[in-house]
Amino acid sequence: MEQRADFSNDNPPIGFVTGGGLEANLQVKLTVPAQTVQEGAFVVMDSGTWRFYGLVTDLQLAAVDPNYASQLNSERFSPRLGQYLNQNTLYTNLAVMPALMLDRGPDPTTPEYATWLQNRPENAKPITVKTVPDHHAPVKLADAADIAQIFGTEDGKTIFRVGETREQGHAVCLNLEKFVQRSSGIFGTTGSGKSFLARMILAGLIHANNASTLIFDMHNEYGPPSTSSDTGKPVSGLKEQFTARVRLVGLGAGTDFGALHADFNLEIAYKDLTPEDVLQLGQSLNLKETTATTLDALQNSFGEDWFTAFMQMRGKATEEDEDGKRRPAADSVEAWANEAGVHVGAAEGLRSKLSRLMNRPYLVDSPASNGLAEIINNLQEGRHVVLSFGRYDSELDYLLVTNLITRKIRDTWEAATSQFHKDKKKEPRPLVVVVEEAHKLLNREMASQTIFSTIAREMRKYYVTLLIIDQRPSQIYDEVMSQLGTRISGALGDEDDINAVLSGLAGRNALRGMLAKLQPKEEVLMLGWGVPMPIPIRSRRYDEKFWQEIHKDEVAKPATTAEYNKRLGFGDDDTD
Amino acid sequence: MSDSSRSIPIGKLLRADNSQFVAGCRVRELETPAFGSLVRASLEDQTDVYGLITNISINDDGLVRQLVSGVSIPGEYTADNRYNRNLPVEIHVLTIGFSRDGQIHHQLPPRPPLSLDQLFLCDSEEVARFTSHGYSYLRHILRLVDQPVEELLVAHLSQARRVQDSVGRPDWYEAACQRLIVLLRDDYPRLTQVLDALSELE
Repeated sequence: MEQRADFSNDNPPIGFVTGGGLEANLQVKLTVPAQTVQEGAFVVMDSGTWRFYGLVTDLQLAAVDPNYASQLNSERFSPRLGQYLNQNTLYTNLAVMPALMLDRGPDPTTPEYATWLQNRPENAKPITVKTVPDHHAPVKLADAADIAQIFGTEDGKTIFRVGETREQGHAVCLNLEKFVQRSSGIFGTTGSGKSFLARMILAGLIHANNASTLIFDMHNEYGPPSTSSDTGKPVSGLKEQFTARVRLVGLGAGTDFGALHADFNLEIAYKDLTPEDVLQLGQSLNLKETTATTLDALQNSFGEDWFTAFMQMRGKATEEDEDGKRRPAADSVEAWANEAGVHVGAAEGLRSKLSRLMNRPYLVDSPASNGLAEIINNLQEGRHVVLSFGRYDSELDYLLVTNLITRKIRDTWEAATSQFHKDKKKEPRPLVVVVEEAHKLLNREMASQTIFSTIAREMRKYYVTLLIIDQRPSQIYDEVMSQLGTRISGALGDEDDINAVLSGLAGRNALRGMLAKLQPKEEVLMLGWGVPMPIPIRSRRYDEKFWQEIHKDEVAKPATTAEYNKRLGFGDDDTD
Repeated sequence: MSDSSRSIPIGKLLRADNSQFVAGCRVRELETPAFGSLVRASLEDQTDVYGLITNISINDDGLVRQLVSGVSIPGEYTADNRYNRNLPVEIHVLTIGFSRDGQIHHQLPPRPPLSLDQLFLCDSEEVARFTSHGYSYLRHILRLVDQPVEELLVAHLSQARRVQDSVGRPDWYEAACQRLIVLLRDDYPRLTQVLDALSELE
């Protein structure tokens, strides 16, 4: 296939390169009216054998002499002369951030073309920009083929269409395989359409099915159906659309999703609670520094059942001994503390604080079923789990449950990976843990303790990554933020939030203005490792049409039991 | 090519250099030459040198000065001085191009005209032909110092515009204005002066 034919961008030139460089942006003089080009436009520049791809980051009004700009020329002189004067002395400059370049090769009609074609590697991809186009290189808006060259063409699987370019409406895709290889984030202020964006991307992930997802659904937004904020019409949830692949789990017995029933409920056994889990609740429970020592001693004394044993102890219980003196009861905290060599006051304090945990209805001594194991199994077998918190939506519940489950996941996946490295038999299924309100779990104070920062930093080796959804990225520990791969951000107002989203990405200051000017609920900026180059897009609408498009490649669902049976192989011919 | 049957002779060369020349004429002949008109000096080697009239000067001599400071001047002295005097009216011309073998060039000619070469006023056809060749001759006008450049431009452009409109090329004037703006846009005060003057033509 003639490579050069791919590069036949038929758009008219909008300007030419006049200066600038790689450090600062390229300067382009616009030869068309300024309003035809917008900030964030994706442009291509051809120079020599290379095609450069870049993003418009600024537009500046300029004049040959400031005097021409500061007077109304058509009033100063005759209207016609004023018009000629404006045409020849006033112009607009674009600042273009160059991002990628691709070798197009020489003109196909020349003899050098054949040699070049031979030496070229198969499927050459665009590379990060390393040089600059010449002066006067023509600049054009990218066409659909250019976008497809960079971002891929929608394939109904892992190349997922997330939206289209703002100025010309060409489809822009996200490579979901790359997306799940590193932790990523979806950001935006409240009301910026973050949840709909997250839902759309999760739908894409579940449909592509290249990774499992565990969604901590704090506000019941993902599993059950919801209402579109644009149209007010109801929109399906993930469970309805992917019935077989998605498991809805309710925390605690009796938690439901409105009209939808949970597939099973999660009750956590006391013995699943480890000292690590308790320590991570330090702030919420107002634990003292002595807690760690006390917990250590408890584990030493009672092993796995330390929590049960501790909860059975009575605080400040005394009894009479043989001589009639008061002494600590045998089953009191004090008695154990003395025996274990732990400070009594500390132990008693801890006991009373931990009673808050004991009161949680989903934390039981012996749960009806092993919900935790079932969640982990489902994930390993390739299904997706949405965990709803029901009425247990306090910060304490959120912290405790998410940490506990994720810790189990970490242990399981680490073991599976080590096994895989040894015998190369079963590669662990990649897993994405979706966390909302991430700033509660990943802020600076908590970051060193929670399992989530470990996952963000290290766990991609073990096939586990995070998808953070948050409106205050500045509250998230910057070490974690800088490790994020793909970042998809809606409008952000706060300077610190903008800095946070851009952290860890070199030379991205040009994008700050763009982040602040995104249209809420409609536009987002995609950038980071998983995206070939930063690009602002109009995000795809999450509505019934979206679901029709997702499912159009699939075979129609059977309507009756007879059809179902037939599908499964039980036919009318009685050949069981 | 000189076609002396149609063109009006208006004077003879007094002195010249590569970029400008001066012709002299009698007062009687003064009706036709005008400030800013396109004129042509015919050289012996069949080259024509084109120029624009930048100045028409009438110099004084001792006799005129005496007369003027006198009490009253009899009518016949005035007439005599006007029509019989030996000092010619001087027509100063800026060279803006030449033509040889029917080909027009907007550069300065290799050699200036010589004394007593005939100066002709160009007719419409010649004006059309010279100005249709392009706009690069405008740079000669812009090179002038100590002269009212904008006045010269207005005078010349209004003549050229009339001629070009009459031969069906109304866009010539628009292109000439655009070219002027491009040539002068780095000199804001000068361009403003020129455009102020040109605005009167609208």
